[in-house]
Amino acid sequence: MGGKVSATLGEIKNRADFIMYWGGNPAECHPRHFTRYTLIPKGKFLPNGRKDRTMVLVDIRETASARAADQFLQIRPGKDFELITALRAVVKGLPVDDALVAQTGITTETLHDLARQMKQCRFGVIFFGMGLSMTRGKHMNSAAILTLATELNAFTKFVTLPMRGHGNVTGSDMVMRWNTGYPFGVNLSRGYPRFNPGEYSTIDLLVRGDTDATLVLGADPGATMPQPAIEHLARTPTIVLDPKVTHTSKLARVHITTAATGVSAPGTVYRMDEVPMPLRPALKSPYPTDEEVVLKIIEAVNRKAPFAPRAESMMRTV
Amino acid sequence: MARRYLMNAARSTKQGQQINVGKDTPEYQALVTTIVMHPDDMREAGIESGMAVRVVADNGEGIFYCKDGKIPQGMVFVNYGPPTCRLMGYVTDGTGMPQSKGWEVEVFPAPGQVPPLVGPDSVKPQY
Repeated sequence: MGGKVSATLGEIKNRADFIMYWGGNPAECHPRHFTRYTLIPKGKFLPNGRKDRTMVLVDIRETASARAADQFLQIRPGKDFELITALRAVVKGLPVDDALVAQTGITTETLHDLARQMKQCRFGVIFFGMGLSMTRGKHMNSAAILTLATELNAFTKFVTLPMRGHGNVTGSDMVMRWNTGYPFGVNLSRGYPRFNPGEYSTIDLLVRGDTDATLVLGADPGATMPQPAIEHLARTPTIVLDPKVTHTSKLARVHITTAATGVSAPGTVYRMDEVPMPLRPALKSPYPTDEEVVLKIIEAVNRKAPFAPRAESMMRTV
Repeated sequence: MARRYLMNAARSTKQGQQINVGKDTPEYQALVTTIVMHPDDMREAGIESGMAVRVVADNGEGIFYCKDGKIPQGMVFVNYGPPTCRLMGYVTDGTGMPQSKGWEVEVFPAPGQVPPLVGPDSVKPQY
């Protein structure tokens, strides 16, 4: 476990002749992925575009993306980890139990054929989505697919990328990584960063009721998080910065309308391959940018006296 | 004991479009309060296409409309949205994210019932 063999989408466009999507539905969720980066474009080393590429889709249901695939492998729900582990064994030439493979919904012959295709390609890529990373096994599934891609490099060039979504989630991870060394779930309350998903991650903090105020930037947890987390946001002061009124702003104490980034505010967005893209605003907005609002909040906080708990409040009366 | 189905919550193009139009529009409400099941599963459960159903998960329940579609037997498809927040678990197993798909649910006919408002007015500040 550990490490990710990766590439930019430009490299994939120019080189990838074997493309696998696992637990993702780009036709619906990333509608420009096929046409700009993976299936359709002609690449430097793939002059015939789609004809030079093979696409395999692995999913538990036949989604719209299946129509674009050369091979669709419908697997049983919750069997991703088992299938990846069997595939890793076959890639290494190790024996696998036919009955155990059959439990994944795939035959051993199909598995051997898949391993052969993966080993024989010139440049392979696995894109994995929430169907892999957010189902039973979660981070262990992600670790298994990253390991599979790493191990395939003993035979050919292979890379893997998560199908990141929702605007600039990759940018958030990247900036947190430069600043603290960790991508998310970072606690700065001691003045230095501490990382512990499950303890300092947003949903866990809200569900446990550990926070007494929340600042929400570019997100709508009121429409996406588990109900106990939403109820805690409603119980405590919540401040939302968003161009629109969202579910979260309705339960918040303060909503500050900001300019839409990329439309009326400049900034930098990170693509799913972690390549930064500058955004030039096309329109003017009467509203401040998120950055301007946050800087003003920092300024106001800095004017306040440092927080120091009174000694008597730290003592228990018996 | 009622039959348990695997609820597969996911995103769709229409849902993505509606997020940018507005989550309190009737189109968005209709998308996130509709589940899709295999026709044979619906017949077995006594559900007609377009009927309201009560979906019960381990962590909560909700009223949805049900329609038939191309989906494997034993599975229920739904677009992510405020109603799925009520069904989703909140234990993250130390990863920071709860399991966002593959919840076991039971589905019961609920003729005449109407999915509750899922717009921003459905949750009020409580402090």
